[in-house]
Amino acid sequence: MKSPRVLRVAGITTAALLAVGTLASCSSDTGGGDGSGVLNITLANHVWTDAIKESLPEFEQESGIDVNLTQLGEDQLSDQYNVKLNAGTNEIDVMMYRPLQEGKLFAQNKWVADITEQVEGAEDWDWSDFQEGPVEATTVEDAVVGVPIITEREVLYYRTDLLEAAGLEVPTTLEELEAAAAQISEANPGVAGFVARTGASAAVTQFSSYLYSEGGTWIDDDGNAAIDTPEAKSAYEFYGTLLREHGPDNVSTDMSWPEAMAIFTQGNAAFYTDADSLYKNAVDPASSTVADTVGFAQFPAGEDGSKPYNVPSWALGIAAESENSENAWEFIQWATSQEKMLELQQAGVPGSRVSVWEDPSATEDYPADLLEAINASFDVGVGFDRPLVISVAEVREIVGMPIVESITGGDVDAAIENAQSQFQEFLDDERG
Amino acid sequence: MSSVVDKQPAVPDAARLPAAFKKRPKHPATRAYGLFRVLALVIIVLTFLAPLVWMVLSSLKTNVDIYDPTAAFVFSPTLQNYETVFGQASYLQYIFNSFWIGIWATVLSMILGVPAAYSMSRFVMKKSAAVVLMARIIPGVSLLVPWYFVFSNLGLVGGYSVLILSHMFVLLPLFVYIMMSFFDSLPLELEEQGQVDGLTPIGAFLRIALPLSVPGIATASILSFIFSWNNFMFALVLSGSSTKTLPVAIFDFVAYASIDWGGLMAAAVIITVPIMVIALFTQKYIVSGLTAGATKG
Repeated sequence: MKSPRVLRVAGITTAALLAVGTLASCSSDTGGGDGSGVLNITLANHVWTDAIKESLPEFEQESGIDVNLTQLGEDQLSDQYNVKLNAGTNEIDVMMYRPLQEGKLFAQNKWVADITEQVEGAEDWDWSDFQEGPVEATTVEDAVVGVPIITEREVLYYRTDLLEAAGLEVPTTLEELEAAAAQISEANPGVAGFVARTGASAAVTQFSSYLYSEGGTWIDDDGNAAIDTPEAKSAYEFYGTLLREHGPDNVSTDMSWPEAMAIFTQGNAAFYTDADSLYKNAVDPASSTVADTVGFAQFPAGEDGSKPYNVPSWALGIAAESENSENAWEFIQWATSQEKMLELQQAGVPGSRVSVWEDPSATEDYPADLLEAINASFDVGVGFDRPLVISVAEVREIVGMPIVESITGGDVDAAIENAQSQFQEFLDDERG
Repeated sequence: MSSVVDKQPAVPDAARLPAAFKKRPKHPATRAYGLFRVLALVIIVLTFLAPLVWMVLSSLKTNVDIYDPTAAFVFSPTLQNYETVFGQASYLQYIFNSFWIGIWATVLSMILGVPAAYSMSRFVMKKSAAVVLMARIIPGVSLLVPWYFVFSNLGLVGGYSVLILSHMFVLLPLFVYIMMSFFDSLPLELEEQGQVDGLTPIGAFLRIALPLSVPGIATASILSFIFSWNNFMFALVLSGSSTKTLPVAIFDFVAYASIDWGGLMAAAVIITVPIMVIALFTQKYIVSGLTAGATKG
């Protein structure tokens, strides 16, 4: 009796082991990373990526390099980098990253390679053609670690029909913006005068243009926190008041761009400030009910003039541990060449090359007033839209708190004081 | 039960029936309770159903309609979102990946976990049980970096096996713990009886304990499969572009400057439906798994 039972158990166990073994052996060959001819490219979900993906076969044919593309949402991409690069992987060659959000961290951890020699050595490709602000953002301690591919600026979105009905001109100063928002929301019940991001962390980048235009900044020249200056205070108060008094009823305090943009594209707000890279959401009839009546203008001027951010939102870098860096550099050169960037800009991705922006064919499809607003922003723009630190996510929560307090009508001064001391402590820590 | 049984013979049948009918309206408290129960049920069901209904409706809308409160229930439905999901987004592959990984992880955890639970229960191996539980307590995210390091050196990252193994890490303790308490509740006498009749201890396990614990195994399997199906974190880091599971793939609809809500909702429906169908058909096992046993009382 005994042996058949034992055999049965043994049989089951063997089957299990065999199954594991078979599975292990049939594991896919996409991993690899043994420095072979396959180039591993990790990109974010973006219009840019979709356009590049279409022309990848072209690159593979020209160069003879096989490309393995991984595409992820921006937060998932960050998570992957944090895990994989931390583990010292060599399975990432080309990486698309956000210079302002992660650039400093990646450079400090030596996750991205120094490509100064390559960019300066490639004469035909012409590094000097790239815009100054974005280049600054991908250069960490004099070492170039990335090539900016996509840029964005904050602009004013507005409803041409509502302005016309109210007999108003497009506001050019923040004061005019407030007055116009008040007038329109009074005349049109149910329509908010103004909408923008309200979430503590999400609003920081869009609030930055208000801060700069009022004459404030995040960190002063000595490297100390500067969000309790009178200029910063008035910016915090202005942004909050605008949303509290003239924003949507019962405004939520965790809106990022999808929520704020939805209010605007449903025709429930007259003015909206956000990144120009989102303009397609507003002018595309498939996602906007006000597609025909959207206007664009340069960011309104505050006490210190109009100072919108003008930043590189994405860049391409080479992973430091890559064993394929030559091919990676070849890919970057191809993807950021003048003709490719022109092609991509025509597809609606604002690029980072001066010559492309000067080419009229690059922006044919852009709304004329948007193009005007963008061009005006180049001259006055500030090269960063959040504090330039290593742990950006953490600091955004700190400096974003007074924004929320201001929107809800709480004690802004106390919130600023609190945020200032936390921010200062954070900076001291980070300096070590 | 016993009290009702005792009373029955005392009342003649003919007298009992009309009395029962007359009694009902006399208890307003019972009626109020009944009303309350229905109301509470409706509220709870609506609360749980609302997001699902919203999801299904949104998956049939265009992106403009999704944000339009006036088009909440009245809109012209479109199947375009589903076309996107099955057409350009190659969801069939991801559905297969999720099933494949979920089934293997569950089956392997079952094969290893059930005998383990049996021996831990019968031979009182409290310390081993505690060690197994540790695996359940450690937050998964803290394991990702070392796992990635080990598995990428083994060349397994991007394949199915690494995902199955990582899911098993969580499923195995789940199996062991559910089955341990199940075996604990099985009377030892049944197996002893079997052994008296000539079974080996393993025979007693296979012929007596195992068949009696089918409801427990079903419960654990279903919970395991659902965990594996929904797991996002392990798949995010350890999967490759061709072995992506559904929860990771759904993020393809969220891009930097645009979100395809319609496509996202259609994909969410596709992720939810199989698991709901499985849960509906296996519900009776889960319920009986909680009450079944060889001897009652």
